[in-house]
Amino acid sequence: MIEADYLVAKKVRIFDPAMCCSSGVCGPGPDGSLVRFAADVSWLSGQGIEVERFNLTDSPDAFVAEPLIKEVLDSKGVGSLPVIIVDQEIRWVNQYPERSALAEAFGLTS
Amino acid sequence: MPRPLDSPVSLAAAPVVFFTGKGGVGKTTVACQSAVISADQGRRVLIVSTDPASNISEVLGSPVSDSEADLVRGHDTLYALNIDPTAAAKAYRERVIGPYRGILPQDALDSMEEQLSGGCTLEISAFDQFASILSNPNTKDFYDQIVFDTAPTGHTLRLLALASAWTGFFDSSTTGVSCMGSFEALEAERGRFAAALEILKDESRTSVVLVARPEPVAMIEAERASAELRELGINNQRLVMNGVYHPTDATDPIAVEIEADQVRALNDMPDSLRSLPSSEILLSGNSPIGLAALRAFPDLPIGVPGSSDVTPTPPGNALSFTDLVEDLSSAGRGVVMTMGKGGVGKTTIATKIALDLLGRGHQVCLATTDPAAHLELELGGEQHGDLRVERIDPSIEVMAYRSEVMNTVGADLDEDGRTLLEEELNSPCTEEVAVFRAFARLVSLGEQGFLVIDTAPTGHTLLLLDASKSFHREALAKGGTSEEFIDRLIPRLQDPDFTKVVIVTLPESTPVSEATTLAQDLRRADIEPYAWIANGCFALLDVSDPLLLVRQRSEKRFLEMVAVQSSKFVMLPYAIRSHS
Repeated sequence: MIEADYLVAKKVRIFDPAMCCSSGVCGPGPDGSLVRFAADVSWLSGQGIEVERFNLTDSPDAFVAEPLIKEVLDSKGVGSLPVIIVDQEIRWVNQYPERSALAEAFGLTS
Repeated sequence: MPRPLDSPVSLAAAPVVFFTGKGGVGKTTVACQSAVISADQGRRVLIVSTDPASNISEVLGSPVSDSEADLVRGHDTLYALNIDPTAAAKAYRERVIGPYRGILPQDALDSMEEQLSGGCTLEISAFDQFASILSNPNTKDFYDQIVFDTAPTGHTLRLLALASAWTGFFDSSTTGVSCMGSFEALEAERGRFAAALEILKDESRTSVVLVARPEPVAMIEAERASAELRELGINNQRLVMNGVYHPTDATDPIAVEIEADQVRALNDMPDSLRSLPSSEILLSGNSPIGLAALRAFPDLPIGVPGSSDVTPTPPGNALSFTDLVEDLSSAGRGVVMTMGKGGVGKTTIATKIALDLLGRGHQVCLATTDPAAHLELELGGEQHGDLRVERIDPSIEVMAYRSEVMNTVGADLDEDGRTLLEEELNSPCTEEVAVFRAFARLVSLGEQGFLVIDTAPTGHTLLLLDASKSFHREALAKGGTSEEFIDRLIPRLQDPDFTKVVIVTLPESTPVSEATTLAQDLRRADIEPYAWIANGCFALLDVSDPLLLVRQRSEKRFLEMVAVQSSKFVMLPYAIRSHS
């Protein structure tokens, strides 16, 4: 029982590039993929998954404090954001996954 | 029976006083005069300008800092400060980014800086500085009085409304994030905004002095401001009628006509203004500059006459207005923008250019980006052939933008997703985007015919251009948007064959210095002004009334300053305003 629980990913951390708001509606034109992803994130958290979302402009501390992210930024540059970490592993780089991919990573049905 | 008049100074005795009104009604002069006289009585007074194109430094005759309050030169209890959105945003960026220099890689810092250079940051950091001044207990203990000289009405109402807009957004949002960061990180700001709102609504602490002139448009503007302020819960209002004129030479037909115009306007004063405690200031020959002149104003309404051997001959290189329109007309299409300080006649001149181009058979759209403009009044409620009239009304643009987003990218979302998106769209900063998009869409109209834009007073027009540039950079960084009108906005504005900026000024000290700075700011943005118009010139009129003669003589040096600015220089007589 404990083992099974351990196997299912439980936490996702999203490290966004510098942006005004997480849906992009504050930018020059609304970005459909950002809006969709904001909705997917909200859905994921409704499924009981712990979600943390950090924007480089608002929470630079979080980027500095996570060695995995610090390393990506130092080696590949800021263009690799967003980076998405599932538990302790980098899962997506420079892309926002579809809801189905998120569901799969957490063993959920989308 | 009108109520008896109070003295302007006794009207403005509250611990916090705002002076507001249409551009050009004399807010800065009246606010500075009130602050100087109050400080002369031994009170410690702080005067703060919230106008991005502040003139308090010129009027007080003293340098004024945009970072901290300093004593005004020549006074030991009067302090002054400018709230400059650009400087406030720069300081805010440094607070955010500074601690991470050397820790995060340079490209990450650059992207943060870019993101924090938008219109949103500009507006919010200026508002935060404003809220800090209002709500900081140390400020309250140190100063006996704080006097605010504000930007022209439309933008001041937005500033005052932001306190409740942000407070409301904080209270209603469920996501806990905003454009300014997570709410947790914003505890201090939340506290400041709520405290500012409370002070603004407290009648025992805050009063608003509406400054108007005896002209219909200035009064309509004051009436509108008064109603909107009441809606915001700001009820302690007063009225100063500035520039009331009683000619001494009854044989001067122009003087008599100006007085008659004023009497008509005063008779038609809206009831909501008539019932306010009020005061009158007489028209003066020249505007007071420096502490001594402010103390004497308005007891010396005639002002200091220029030496009588100065002949008021206008500079010789002036073009006629008809020639200017002819030159514009020959291009066949494009954007014409009138810019300048509030109250110089931008709306009147934009309307005249639009009608003249229409008369030459062009397809013409007349538009305004000034939330306080009165195009309908200028057009006299008449239909003018095929003239199309547009205005950017921020509250309408915001609603349109919200529904556009909900109907496009929001259409495929589930209900939760839509709720989330709706909430984010309710952030007060969507107004910046909505106004920018509406402006870009307007400018694209210049491709099919003439678009004549009457802009908001200088400071806010420059902020709109700044915001446009930053949105443009952001769009370029993403490889462009799919929207032509967005991607082409800045290139269109910078194309001298497409966009023609007409700088409008009055032949007076502050409008001319503001126009000169505006021209420099435009050149920095790679926009070369196309022509200059000196409006409201008495130099072109035959006057004999002593006060009008003083005005005529004091115009001369300002006309000369304008004449050297451009080979396209036009003078218009005072009458264009009183007849409109």
